[in-house]
Amino acid sequence: MKRWIKKAWPYWAGGLLLGGLNVLLLSLSGQAWQVSGGYLLWGAGILQKLGVPALTWDYFEVYNTRYRQIIADDSVFLNQYTILNLGVVAGALLATLVSSQFKWKKVKNKKQVAFALLGGILMGYGSRLAGGCNIGGFFSGLASFSLHAWVFWLFVAVGAFVGTRLLLRFLVR
Amino acid sequence: MEIKDLDCLYEACPIPLIRAIQALRTMQTGDILVVHSDESCAAVMMQEWAQQNGYSIRVTESDVGEWEIYLQKP
Repeated sequence: MKRWIKKAWPYWAGGLLLGGLNVLLLSLSGQAWQVSGGYLLWGAGILQKLGVPALTWDYFEVYNTRYRQIIADDSVFLNQYTILNLGVVAGALLATLVSSQFKWKKVKNKKQVAFALLGGILMGYGSRLAGGCNIGGFFSGLASFSLHAWVFWLFVAVGAFVGTRLLLRFLVR
Repeated sequence: MEIKDLDCLYEACPIPLIRAIQALRTMQTGDILVVHSDESCAAVMMQEWAQQNGYSIRVTESDVGEWEIYLQKP
């Protein structure tokens, strides 16, 4: 039991579990798992509160219309995506706590901060242009037999190649 | 026989493994590299890498969420 909780699970076990849970989520809620859309709504909602009319931008009206109902209901901060995203954080926290590996991580140096910020912005912006992140766009898309997920995969591979080059060049001294 | 420490705390995977490989390149047979990391995946990756490359490896959890990974050059 201790070994089972302490040790990292193999990729196939995690994959099977994620796949099974996604099927369960789809059958119970009618919607496959998505992650970055929830943060998009938070970001747009915060901008709106600061006086920037982000929720009426063309992005939601013309390009990505699936969040229209949530915006119309005035529930950008509290919706199904928020619950799923909080669940991810709570689940990860639970996993580190039961394996007693919880630890506050420090920042190593300024370069690490700069790269983390830059990487986060690029990933977030890219996921919005692609209409989904590696969960909604790839993981759930692939399970739906959608062609777009394969195109997504191809370009993730290109991005990973370039990212590895940058990592070796700038982050490993 | 030389013992060398490599501080990889707060560094995300796969950086600890890459830095360990770089450090081991400059070391002699029998030398021991001690990698300090707070990423559980660093130990997993290094165990796999050590097995593939014939290195002896020992992993201890030195603190809560912190590991010391001992690698001996064959």
